[in-house]
Amino acid sequence: MSAIAAKPGANAGSFQPIPSVIAIVIAIVLVAAAYFLGSSGILAGGAMFVLQTLCLIILGAALIAFGVHFVPVGGAPAAMGQAPGIATGVAMLATGAGLAGLFGGAWAAELGLGVALASGAIGGALMMAITCLMVNISYVFGMGIPAASGKVEKDPITGDLQAAYKSQGTEGHGLPFISYVGGVIGGLFGGLGGTLIYIELLNFYNAGLPALGFVGAADINMLSVGLAGIFAIGMFLVIAVLSAYNITGTIEGPHDPKFKRFPRAIVAAILASAVCGLVAMLVVALF
Amino acid sequence: MQEIIIGIGVTALAGALAAVAGAAEDTESNIGSQGDPNSQVQLAPQMGYTHRIYNKAVSGEPPAYTLWVTLACGVAWAFLMLGVNAILAIIFGTVLATFVQGVYATTAYLGRTASLSKFGQPVFIDVVKSVTTVTMAHAFVAIFATVTVCYLMMTVIGHPFALPLLGIVWGLALGAAGSATGNPYYGKERQYQNQKFGAGVPISASGNIVRYAEAGQRSSIDNGFFTAKFGGPASGLCFGLIVFFELWRTIIFEDYLAGWGAVIVGALVIIIFMIIDRYVEVWARKNYGPYAVEA
Amino acid sequence: MSVKVEASHDGIPHNKVMVIGAVISLVSLYIAIIGTVIGVDYLAFFGGFAAVGALIWGNSTIKKLCSYGIGTGVPSAGMLAFGSGVIALLFAATLGGISIWIVPVAGLIIALIVGLFLGWISNSVLNMKIPVMTRSIAELAAVGALALMGFGVVATGTVGFTGIATIEILGVTVYNASYIGAGVIAVSFMLGAIALQHPFNACLGPGEKQDRTNMLAIECGFLSMIIMAVISFVFVSLAAAWISLIVAIIGWFVSYVKYLALSKRDAAAWLDAKPFSDAEE
Repeated sequence: MSAIAAKPGANAGSFQPIPSVIAIVIAIVLVAAAYFLGSSGILAGGAMFVLQTLCLIILGAALIAFGVHFVPVGGAPAAMGQAPGIATGVAMLATGAGLAGLFGGAWAAELGLGVALASGAIGGALMMAITCLMVNISYVFGMGIPAASGKVEKDPITGDLQAAYKSQGTEGHGLPFISYVGGVIGGLFGGLGGTLIYIELLNFYNAGLPALGFVGAADINMLSVGLAGIFAIGMFLVIAVLSAYNITGTIEGPHDPKFKRFPRAIVAAILASAVCGLVAMLVVALF
Repeated sequence: MQEIIIGIGVTALAGALAAVAGAAEDTESNIGSQGDPNSQVQLAPQMGYTHRIYNKAVSGEPPAYTLWVTLACGVAWAFLMLGVNAILAIIFGTVLATFVQGVYATTAYLGRTASLSKFGQPVFIDVVKSVTTVTMAHAFVAIFATVTVCYLMMTVIGHPFALPLLGIVWGLALGAAGSATGNPYYGKERQYQNQKFGAGVPISASGNIVRYAEAGQRSSIDNGFFTAKFGGPASGLCFGLIVFFELWRTIIFEDYLAGWGAVIVGALVIIIFMIIDRYVEVWARKNYGPYAVEA
Repeated sequence: MSVKVEASHDGIPHNKVMVIGAVISLVSLYIAIIGTVIGVDYLAFFGGFAAVGALIWGNSTIKKLCSYGIGTGVPSAGMLAFGSGVIALLFAATLGGISIWIVPVAGLIIALIVGLFLGWISNSVLNMKIPVMTRSIAELAAVGALALMGFGVVATGTVGFTGIATIEILGVTVYNASYIGAGVIAVSFMLGAIALQHPFNACLGPGEKQDRTNMLAIECGFLSMIIMAVISFVFVSLAAAWISLIVAIIGWFVSYVKYLALSKRDAAAWLDAKPFSDAEE
């Protein structure tokens, strides 16, 4: 993303049990608070509807956080063929895939939740499938460099040996098949999670805005779409950046040792989305 | 039926426009030296290599292009509301976005270069004048094409998102596709032209970028000549395919199986791309061979 | 890579910059609200000053945070700030239904709370162990909310939810052409997110100087205000939009020229059409 380098070391990579438990407890308290706001009528739609909306927003955020860890991103070294992965920033690449999914999901929103979610997931995966393919084509046909991983000896899917295809003085380059599959899965989860957040918020605002007094016009749906759209994008960015912090900028894919850090990111996403989701829902609160 | 035919036409047009946008985007970012390869431009003076390469450290390409496209969409929407004709409105939006891009480019170059004064890296005013205008021209093409794609999606195809929201989605996708595909070609193949072909740049060579052109000292415009031959079209193909398949699968197949048709076709397309990728990977391993004998 | 992030020794300490930025921002927003309350919209341009104040504050915070090396680029911090800021902003706008006077302060406080959560998550749950993390992310969220509020004021002339969610066209209230309904808030979002991270990111390096970076923050603020002023022709009266646009252009031009002068002052050399001389040759 920029010239600022990843500084490993400060990040031991271990799971933090005490803060994680505190985070989960706070998240549960926030969900309970949402329940009471719903049952007391401050949030429209009834307690169960409010509870379901917030829980699914949290689920969507957890899916995004999990998905970001699959996306193979090499940052600046990848642009010089010094490290495997896609040569860009992890937060923005994951968000790009997620929003491409959101585009598909929002388009299919009127066809029902299942189709919309599947369409969102496929949209994100398709974006990553094409991008990752073009990355490999660029390496192989543009620069004459085969794909090689620096973190594992063998590709866990194809069993190809990696070390011999790594050029001297580098940590590997390109996208070995495991990274490619990781990218597609990352796009899948990103698109799914983003679409889930969007659709839950959309339904919530469609129910909540009329109660707030925004009635009378047929185009009220545009207001809900605008609100849900900007919130889905904002929350996606928050979760993606937090997950990027978790992997300190670069990761090779699901076979990278850094991948094991994902539980931390999921805990982080649960609390972050509980806070952001609750505040976003309070936008249509009745005081 | 007519709806589907219009849909197919728009899909093809959007895909073609997206291909143009992707190619222009990558060439623009390479001429301006933006994104990850720019870390080497930043590093070179610190290693004692003074150079005349631009240093457009606005941010990574995805956020930067999200801004240019979103604000062009927003301004275009404003002009549409004021009753201006659509093409003119998109051009006004694009012009303003290009202006903002140019200002950001100059402030980034001046800021970064002035902060490198300790290493004796001078500010080259002729580089600012010549390169900024060239990046702005490419940015205009990229932004105009992308905003047009967004406008087609909103009006003809009827996507629920408003124009600026579509701008965020496709601006980000444009930057992500362009930087993913184009960055290695500029970073490895052009900046480190003096290193071995067919191998990554050894980490020990970092900062030793090529600073001389065929004649005289290389400026960033020379990088545009080079990457426009492969990195640009490849990025264009990447973004064009993304836009095309996202629209195609929905417009043609959404009516089948209550919407699941589009999902199934999308999944099939992903699997086809996956097979092509595996083929490319194996082809490279077979034809290029290992760097050392496999143990 | 091995580019080190070195923040300069600041002439003005961070806390002072923070207070100055926050005060400029809040005072400007309240002046704009006076306009809303007495029913005139030509005070909308004060929103631009609010955004500039917030960006000065945010710029100083980013500098403090990113000097630690947060593992990914500076731009991500801007995205995080505005992602959380936009949520806080819209909730605060809803609270404008109680009284419009509480919106700026409410936005500040809600954003600080959301940001504290996110900062604590980054620092403790994600184990980043950066001493200023919690405070910095909280500040950035607040900056995001204030800057968005400022841009919103430039565009629509108000901070209340009704004002940004509806628009009167020929006497009919419609939603799909409003600041939110038409997604114009996305433009503010991106303008702010890039303007927030750009000054420090662009002036990064061992020769970074606080006055130059701050001047760039002001320049970015006014540049963004130009765009919002152009868009505001849809929402506010013609006179108000022209005032915003002219103020923005003058502010941008003055700060840009000053920034050029400061860059010239700090550069090793300022050469026109001259080659570099290589010590090795």
